[in-house]
Amino acid sequence: MEHWLYSFNIAGHTFSVNLDTIITMWLAMAFLIVISLIVTRKAQMVPSRTQAACEKIMEFFWGVMDTMMPGKNRQHVPFVASLFLFILTANLMGQLPLRIIHLKHGELASPTNDINLTAALAILVLIYYITAGLKAKKGKFFIHEFSFQGIIMFLVELLEMFTRPLSLAIRLFANIFAGEVLVAICLGISAAFLPIPVMIFELIVAFIQATVFMMLTIAYVSSAAQTEEH
Amino acid sequence: MTEVTTITEFAKLGAGIAMGFGAIGAGLGIGVATKGLMDGVSRQPEVAGKAFGFFLLGAALSEACALYAFVIAAKLVGLF
Repeated sequence: MEHWLYSFNIAGHTFSVNLDTIITMWLAMAFLIVISLIVTRKAQMVPSRTQAACEKIMEFFWGVMDTMMPGKNRQHVPFVASLFLFILTANLMGQLPLRIIHLKHGELASPTNDINLTAALAILVLIYYITAGLKAKKGKFFIHEFSFQGIIMFLVELLEMFTRPLSLAIRLFANIFAGEVLVAICLGISAAFLPIPVMIFELIVAFIQATVFMMLTIAYVSSAAQTEEH
Repeated sequence: MTEVTTITEFAKLGAGIAMGFGAIGAGLGIGVATKGLMDGVSRQPEVAGKAFGFFLLGAALSEACALYAFVIAAKLVGLF
């Protein structure tokens, strides 16, 4: 549960990074980048087996976008799809036996068990949906109409800009972290067979949490970017 | 010294209470979600697959409330 803290000084300020999180995050990123490079190099009209599988994955994202956000939605697919794939890879990495590699402090586990990474993802989502809303509605994104109701709605949306990333970050972090604590407690009770069903449950949780993050991102972006017809 | 010990002991008690009350809400939420799934599926058995996906989503969202309590409890005990 502890992280390998590494501190350094820049212009009199001390910055700390969690090195184990960074290592596992780069592993997940490298996996995704290498897979996508391999698949997209030799694209053919008659797809090979791997290319067909990856096209199925993209069709899954298009289907989700079409159901959650009808209309013009293809420009949001890359962001949402890479969020989903990265979070899924990161969550599933926690179930790999990476802990046999010993570090000085901490352990190699899922990078999403660090709240710094999930908070960074949530802030990315915040910036993305504000940008999408500003592009779609210009100044009307912040203030809909100049009346009592409009001002109240503006204040509520200002509050949401704080609570949405907070809940996104804590939801993902707490699910993965609680799973690790659960596995650790089961290991303490009986190391033989008790952790196995919990680990299988964690595999399901990895998929569900990646899906939840993606769905909420799509919901936020579509509520920000779509102009309602009058 | 004794005061510090008392405070850490009470923090553990508070962590237990936080986990318990958090679990009440998440349990109620998942129960209501399951009831909705059962109602919908018994009326229209053909939507079972699609409804189960939305059920999992709702269950994960309501389970997150218990996990917020878990984060507070872990913070109280000093797990991270």
